[in-house]
Amino acid sequence: MKVLAFEQLAYRHFASDYASKYDSVTTMPYHALVDRKLMHQDHMHFLDEMMHAARSGFDGVATTEHEQASYDILPNPNLQMSALAYATQSEGLNVGLACVGRSLAKTREPLRIAAEYAVLDQISAGRLVAGFPIGLSYDVNRNNGIPPIETRARFYENLELIKKAWRSEEVFAWNGKYNKYAEVNVWPRPFQDKPPVWAPAIGNPVTLAGIIDNDDNFLYLSWFGPKLTGKRIFDRYWDMAEERGKDRNPYRLSFVQAVFVGETDAEAHREYGPYIEQGYRTGLGAIPMQSLGLPGYVDIKGLEFIIKDPGDFGIVPKMRTIEYKELVDNQCAIVGGPETVAQQLIEIIKNFRIGHLVIMVHIGPMPHELVMKNIDMLSKHILPKLKGIWEDENWENRWWPSGAR
Amino acid sequence: MSAQVVIKGPERTEVVKAWNDQIDVRVKIAGSGPALVYLHPAAGLYWDQFLDKLAETHTVYAPEMPGTTFGDPYAIHKVDTFLDLVLIYEEVLRKLGLKRPVAIGQSFGGMLMCDLAAHFPDIFSKIIPLDPAGLWRDDVPVLTNQLYLDKPENLPGYLFLDPSIPAAQAMFTPPADPEMMVKHIAHTVWSLGCVAKFIWPFPDQGLAKRIHRINVPTLIIWGKQDKLIPVAYAEEFQKRIANSRVEIIDQSGHIPQMEQLDKTLALVKAFIAS
Repeated sequence: MKVLAFEQLAYRHFASDYASKYDSVTTMPYHALVDRKLMHQDHMHFLDEMMHAARSGFDGVATTEHEQASYDILPNPNLQMSALAYATQSEGLNVGLACVGRSLAKTREPLRIAAEYAVLDQISAGRLVAGFPIGLSYDVNRNNGIPPIETRARFYENLELIKKAWRSEEVFAWNGKYNKYAEVNVWPRPFQDKPPVWAPAIGNPVTLAGIIDNDDNFLYLSWFGPKLTGKRIFDRYWDMAEERGKDRNPYRLSFVQAVFVGETDAEAHREYGPYIEQGYRTGLGAIPMQSLGLPGYVDIKGLEFIIKDPGDFGIVPKMRTIEYKELVDNQCAIVGGPETVAQQLIEIIKNFRIGHLVIMVHIGPMPHELVMKNIDMLSKHILPKLKGIWEDENWENRWWPSGAR
Repeated sequence: MSAQVVIKGPERTEVVKAWNDQIDVRVKIAGSGPALVYLHPAAGLYWDQFLDKLAETHTVYAPEMPGTTFGDPYAIHKVDTFLDLVLIYEEVLRKLGLKRPVAIGQSFGGMLMCDLAAHFPDIFSKIIPLDPAGLWRDDVPVLTNQLYLDKPENLPGYLFLDPSIPAAQAMFTPPADPEMMVKHIAHTVWSLGCVAKFIWPFPDQGLAKRIHRINVPTLIIWGKQDKLIPVAYAEEFQKRIANSRVEIIDQSGHIPQMEQLDKTLALVKAFIAS
C-alpha cells in the first residue's frame, strides 16, 4: 500500500461569495481578485506543505495540471515538481513524485513533456510517476483551442509518441496526424527504464478500456462523491479488467481522496468544515457544467449513456451551492478523528482494491497552519494503520517508481 | 400565424460514396426542376419550410456533413482538415451530376459554400450565403464559441430574435419517445461537435485570403438582429466578393429563412430568376 500527499495550488483568499460571482475557470478577473503578496505566499506554502508531507512519512507527493483556473494554479506542475525533486533528493527523502498532470490532449509539444518528465526522473534518481491525463474539456478545448472531437485522438497519438521517444534506441521520424518530427531523439531519457504511467480519469468506459489495454494505472478522482460514484466506477473497472485479461492486482488502481483529520470528530468538523465547503463551492463547483463536456469531447455512445444515466457525475451539478453535510455524507471529503478516518479509508481501500491512496491534504482557502496540522495528524495516526494493507496478497507493484521507497 | 408548423420534408435520399469510398455521404432530396444545393449549419441538416418551398420550383439537394448523419457518427474521424471537407463536398456534387447549380448555405454551410466557390470557381452558377460564418473581426466577435459554451436552454437566444415563433419551437422540440429523445439529443450534440472540428475556437479557416476568387453572382442575406454573427459581417462579405449585393432582413436573428420566411424566400427566388 502506498500513500501520497496531494494538493492543488488554490488561491486561498477569495471572499466567501466568490462562487456566486465568478467561475473558477477561464473568465475570473485576475487583477481584481488577487493580491500579489498573497499569491506569492500561496506558492511558497504549497511547496512547504508538500515538503512537510515528504518529511513526515508519506510515500510520495502528487500534483495536477490546470491552466486558467483559480482552484489549481499549476499551469505546468513540472515546475513545482522540479523544486520538490531537488529538495527531496538533497535531503535524502526518496518519496515518489507523481505528476498526475500533464494533459496530453491539450499539449502541442508532447516531446517537451517527454523531456521534462525525463529531467524530473534524472534529478530524483528514478522517482517519477508519469501521469498522462486526457485533460478536462474546459482546459483542453476552451483554454487551449483544441477542437473537442480531436481530444481523444490527440491524447493517444501523444502518448504513443512519448513512450516511443523514451524507449527508442534509434533516432526516429514521427509522421503523425498531429505531430511531425523528422528526428526524434529526446535528451535526457528517464532514469528509470520505464517510468510507471498513471492515467487520471473519471471512469468513462471508453477511456478505461484504453488504460487497461495499455497496462497503465487508473487514477480515479473522487471529488464527485465516492459513495455515489465509487462503487459503480470501480466495479466497472474491475469487470472490464477481467474481461480484458488482467489480474486483480490492487496496484493497478490509484484513488484521490480528500481527508482531514482532527483530534476528535467534533474538532475536525469545526476546524476544517468551513474551508472544505468553501473549497468545493469555489473550485470544482464553480466550473460551468457545459465546460466539462463541450460538444464532441464525449463520444456519442458516451453521450447517450450520460443522458440516460448521469450518475457518473455524482453531486457535481449542485456543487456550487453544496452544504458541508452533504460533502461529508457522500465522502467527497473524509473528515473526523483518527479512528473515524482510518475506518472509512480502510473500508474504501479494501472494498475497491486500491493500491495507491492519493490523499488531498488541502482544499480551497484552508490556511497553511491547518494544512500542516492535517499532514501531522495523517502521518502520526493514519499512515501507520494503512501501511501493511495488501502485503499478505504478495502482488508486485509495477506502477511505482523504481527509485522511490 | 398558425401554431402548427407543417413540414413535408425530403422525398428521397441518395448515398454518394466519397473519399476513396471511405465515406457514405447522405444527400436528402426533394422537388423537381433545376438543381439547387443547400448546405446546412452546425447543428446538422434540419429540413424546414424554406426547403419545402424551394422544392416547389427546384430539385433541392441537401448533403449531410460526414459525422452528422444519424447512425454513422464516426465518418467525421476520416475528415482531418477543412481542405479534406471541401474536396469531399466537391466530389459529392460532381458525382450527383449537378451542372453548376445555384447554392444556398446557412451559417457554417455558408462558410463551406463560399470556400467551395473560391476553390472551384465553376462549381456553382450563383450563391446565396445566409448569415454565413467564415470571417473574423476582433472588434465584432462571432459568438459561435459562446453558443457552444452556454447552457442548452440558452441556445435559441443565439439563433432567433424571437425564439417563441412556432418554426423555432418545432425545431427545438425533441421526439416524445424517451429512447428516441436520448438518441436525438446525443445526435444533435455530436453534430455540433463534428462541425466544431472546423469552426472551433473560431469559424476562420482562411476564407478571407481566398474569398476574392469567388466570381459568381452572390446574394448575401443577413438577419438585422443576428446575435451569433453580427450584421456587420454582411459588408465584410460584400466588399470582398466582386459580383455581390447585400439584403438585410429586419426583425430576424441568425436564421432569416425561418424567422422571416416570406421575405427571405421572395429575395431568393427573385435573385435566382434574375
